Amino acid sequence: MIKFEQVSKAYPGGFQALNNVSFNVEPGEMAFLTGHSGAGKSTVLKLISMMERPTAGRVLINGHDLKKISRKQVAYARRDIGMIFQDHRLLMDRTVFDNVALPLLIEGYSMGEARKRVQAALEKVGLGDKIRHYPRMLSGGEQQRVGIARAVVNKPPLLLADEPTGNLDPKLSAEIIKLFEDFNRVGVSVVIATHDLGLIARLRYRTLTLKDGRMINDGLVEENL
Amino acid sequence: MSFLFRGRQQGAQQVKISLGRRFLTFWLHHAQQCIGSLGELARYPFASLMTMAVLGLSLTLPATLYVIVKNTDAVGANFQQASEMTLFLRQDLSEQEVATFHKRVQVNPAVASTRLIDKAAGLADFRQRSGFGEALDTLENNPLPDVLIVTPAESYRHPAAAEQLLQQMQQQREVDQARLDVGWLQRFQAIVRLIQDGFLGLALLLSIAVVLIVGNTIRLNISSKRDEIAVMKLVGATDAYIQRPFLYTGLWYGLLGGVITWIATGVLLWWLSAAVRDIAELYDSQFRLTGLNITEMGVVWGFAIGIGLLGSYLAVRKHVRAIEPQ
Repeated sequence: MIKFEQVSKAYPGGFQALNNVSFNVEPGEMAFLTGHSGAGKSTVLKLISMMERPTAGRVLINGHDLKKISRKQVAYARRDIGMIFQDHRLLMDRTVFDNVALPLLIEGYSMGEARKRVQAALEKVGLGDKIRHYPRMLSGGEQQRVGIARAVVNKPPLLLADEPTGNLDPKLSAEIIKLFEDFNRVGVSVVIATHDLGLIARLRYRTLTLKDGRMINDGLVEENL
Repeated sequence: MSFLFRGRQQGAQQVKISLGRRFLTFWLHHAQQCIGSLGELARYPFASLMTMAVLGLSLTLPATLYVIVKNTDAVGANFQQASEMTLFLRQDLSEQEVATFHKRVQVNPAVASTRLIDKAAGLADFRQRSGFGEALDTLENNPLPDVLIVTPAESYRHPAAAEQLLQQMQQQREVDQARLDVGWLQRFQAIVRLIQDGFLGLALLLSIAVVLIVGNTIRLNISSKRDEIAVMKLVGATDAYIQRPFLYTGLWYGLLGGVITWIATGVLLWWLSAAVRDIAELYDSQFRLTGLNITEMGVVWGFAIGIGLLGSYLAVRKHVRAIEPQ
């Protein structure tokens, strides 16, 4: 599903964010990406979502070399990737419905179809009754769930989450992770970047650990790390 | 539909939209974004109106100049129509010969009317007007020729035809010299040309200024929506999709700015018409200003819309592209 082949990334100014990183996430797999801040977690996600391009090596999604995807095609490719952010990146002056419907309307769904799907996605994250609310009226956990609904509303085969539980207490974090597990169960590949080691250790999923831009561990995370 | 996952066999459930449906929703999108951008303008009515007024009033000046040039052209045509020619007859003709020639010219189908000013009348007129009365008394005989003033028939009033008639008259035995006074007409036309060229230059400069103003306004719109645009790009919006509402904003600026041009031009011409009427009366003319006709209004409108679109196009092409999600 996602394949990194000896990928390096240096940002303008010389900061080496990733150094010769290789890994492979299988279709339908759920994996955590961890490490201290600045270790390169976000860079890995940005390379997958084509917000950045690697300086060396290849990134492949479903066998497609992302280097071969032109600027114009990026928009279409991103429709297959659901993205979730720590700051959820909602449009604050739009209702929950407008936020979640955005990817559908961009893709050309009719309003009626979009309404059905948005309702379904919001039910899934437990916000079926908040469709007319504005994000400001919701709690942090609810806002994050709106972000998740937006990411999954067009049913992408791949979900990326960057610190999705960063601002949430353990109970809310567990709920969010449970949502990801539900999506994973129906076949969606999920990659979650987080530094919440306690959360990962409890869940015992595959964990990719980055340190100073290098992959230092691929497998189950040890409690003593 | 899926780019990385053709058919999306694995992973999430397949999503499919038919081609016909896509075509329909494409136009539906256009309509939605078109109305949406109008709503956006209505949310900031004062700012929107100011931009439209800049566009509309900037085009008013060239439009008004155009109307004035058009009207002066019409005046010129009037004067041209009325051109008279003056035939100076030979000194040695007898009165009998002059009368015969006068009759002959009168029956010429190319001639509408004639007026004979004979030597004596000419001298009397000159004596009265010039104040050289006593000096003229010392002359032994009248030095002035008989003069025949000829107004060409309707079909001979165009410059070329009048010129032809002039040649014909010149060749008559009795005629010493024939003259069609077109000098002042040429000067008049040169002035009209000058105004016309000035109007074109001015129109061009003002249009460029308006394109820049609209472009800058749209640029500000874009940068105030930087976050929104970044999010849209994240969830897979193409540049074209993001650009469309801004292009429609430019279209609305042009559409409504053009209407402002109509109104302002009308008001300006109404304002000028009193002064024009005064001048026309001094020249014993029935001349009245005519405003923009339907076709010309259409052209002004189209021009305004074109300028609005061009300004917004220049802005979106550069600035929407530059925004990338971080």
